[in-house]
Amino acid sequence: MGNAVEKAAEIVRGYDGRPLRFMEVCGTHTHEIFRLGIRNMLPPNIRLISGPGCPVCVTPTGYIDEAVMLALEKGCTICTFGDLVRVPGSDLSLAEARAKGAKIVMVYSPLDSVEYAEEHPDEQVVWLAVGFETTTPATCVAVKKAKEKGLTNYSQLTANKFMDNAYLALKGSADAFLYPGHVSVVTGTSIYEHLRDDEGISGVVTGFTGPEVLTALAYCIRGCEKGEPFFKNCYPRVVTDEGSPSGRAIIAETLEPVDSEWRGLGVIPQSGYRLREEYAEFDARKKFSLPVIKGHPNPACRCGEVLQGKCTPEECPLFGKVCTPEHPVGACMVSGEGACSAFYKYKL
Amino acid sequence: MSETITMAHGAGGKQTSELIGGIFSKYFANPLLTADDAAVLPRPEGRIAMSTDGFIVSPSEFPGGNIGRLSVCGTVNDLSCMGARPLYLTCSFVIEEGFPIDELDHLACSMAETAKEVGVVLVAGDTKVAGKGQVDGVFITTAGVGVIDDDVNTGGALAKPGDAIIVTGDIGRHGCAILLARDEFKIKADVTSDDAPLWNNVKAVLDTTKDVHVIRDATRGGVGTVLYEIAGQSDVGIRIEQTDVPVDETVQGVCGMLGLNPLYLACEGRLVIMAPKDKAPAIVEALRGCQYSENAAIIGEVTAENKGRVVIHTEIGSETLLPLPGGELLPRIC
Repeated sequence: MGNAVEKAAEIVRGYDGRPLRFMEVCGTHTHEIFRLGIRNMLPPNIRLISGPGCPVCVTPTGYIDEAVMLALEKGCTICTFGDLVRVPGSDLSLAEARAKGAKIVMVYSPLDSVEYAEEHPDEQVVWLAVGFETTTPATCVAVKKAKEKGLTNYSQLTANKFMDNAYLALKGSADAFLYPGHVSVVTGTSIYEHLRDDEGISGVVTGFTGPEVLTALAYCIRGCEKGEPFFKNCYPRVVTDEGSPSGRAIIAETLEPVDSEWRGLGVIPQSGYRLREEYAEFDARKKFSLPVIKGHPNPACRCGEVLQGKCTPEECPLFGKVCTPEHPVGACMVSGEGACSAFYKYKL
Repeated sequence: MSETITMAHGAGGKQTSELIGGIFSKYFANPLLTADDAAVLPRPEGRIAMSTDGFIVSPSEFPGGNIGRLSVCGTVNDLSCMGARPLYLTCSFVIEEGFPIDELDHLACSMAETAKEVGVVLVAGDTKVAGKGQVDGVFITTAGVGVIDDDVNTGGALAKPGDAIIVTGDIGRHGCAILLARDEFKIKADVTSDDAPLWNNVKAVLDTTKDVHVIRDATRGGVGTVLYEIAGQSDVGIRIEQTDVPVDETVQGVCGMLGLNPLYLACEGRLVIMAPKDKAPAIVEALRGCQYSENAAIIGEVTAENKGRVVIHTEIGSETLLPLPGGELLPRIC
């Protein structure tokens, strides 16, 4: 370790002031923080909360129900990232729907779903569009491609989200946020300055290596000690002030903000997207006249509270007993980036 | 001879003879391999080790090797892990109808070359042809016999607190090479499989010291799975220094993109060795003098605490549990 990192580690290890809570927003941070064993080096008065930045974890039960209905009742082929397949719906996960004959194709990029639709003109292909700014632009490129090619067998079930208003909903849950490194590549940092100046919300943008996370935590501790709202970009080698205008432009071209349901957080105004009217023919909800589905998650599952830092995974009665990575009940146990899965796998 | 394998090649008649004469005899000929129903072999001195392994890898050709070489390495390495000098191999092919004969020729050639590297001879074989679609290309099963010196005693239950843990080279290359060769992820990277027959390496270790407790080849499930197996079998804890684990930069990069841990990627030419700490430097030195283990390294130690668990000492000086293997490989989505 370099001197600067050792100093950061010292600040973190040696902190003995008032209790502080920091929320890592991004699922990749959650995973890396566990992999690096950072929680095991924190003093007892610093608590890390895994926030709602894993797209799989915040996807509501009703969304899975919609996908299952498209697959089983409307006969659609579902193209999706692998993580979503095992997330429980009200009755069935997509994996269970597959066992009942649904066609579920796992792909690694939204563009693969367009390619699949082109190669299978006799199937109605639906892309499960979840994710934040890291995956949303690719989803937008996919729908533009589908339009250019004039595909009539392709649509998207849009549930992409963005964090701006989620931070407001989470205000008070933590003393400072570790803002997502990769999402900020697209958004830039002006939003965090606004949160600091107008809302009194503190945080730092951080990368994903051990030194980067430690430095960010040390900065949060020093900032909280000063007592003024703060913001710092601790990931300047990748994140710029202006972000990616072209990434944001393609989102604005194809999607428009709507109120959106987050698992555990409820409906947050203007926090999700739907396809714009010009792309209505690719909106799976309209194309297949889906009814409004209210999902019914397992009432004992406390994923929602975990996502807000109101309880730790171990405080959930299902954790490690009924709910395990092999047999997940809640979304936070399914995704490798979910807090419950990370707690389960890395707990010393 | 026709250019692809037909059902007639497995029927036992003229075409079968052509296949055996044209390919297998050409590469495998030795005095012990006869046309009789079984090989008759001289009785070896010492304890005998015996092992068998089936190979169904797809694709059958991949950067750094093929299913033929792999099928020899697999059984040779299983025997070597018990400290056994491999003497004899048998092999059994199940070939899909329509398989190109020149590819079969190439596989047999690889098998013979690989066997020659460690002085093992092929003493019996069998060929079956299965209908189109019943197998994927070619499946190969090998079995082998080796002989163990009296003073050699290795096994998964013999690890002791204080043992050093050695790997014989950078980890995860075979799993990574196969992943890339399948092209499902559309990632282009230059990674070759580590598959290699490792008897000469084990011999070099045993020539240095017979005081070796565990030798295991880290195949399916990779080094991480082996470490958990040994921790369970020997009822000990295992502590690994993250920064001492050799991983090729490109493999690390591919793993980073896909959210995989190199500790859980398969190797086909890497051993995990556990031996008393004071013997470890000489073992590593001996290994570094051999082909296929030039990058051998001490990566950790066996502990009395944390029984059954594998603890990682991370690059920032903290400790964490190596997550247990299992579940599907789900690439990260953001």
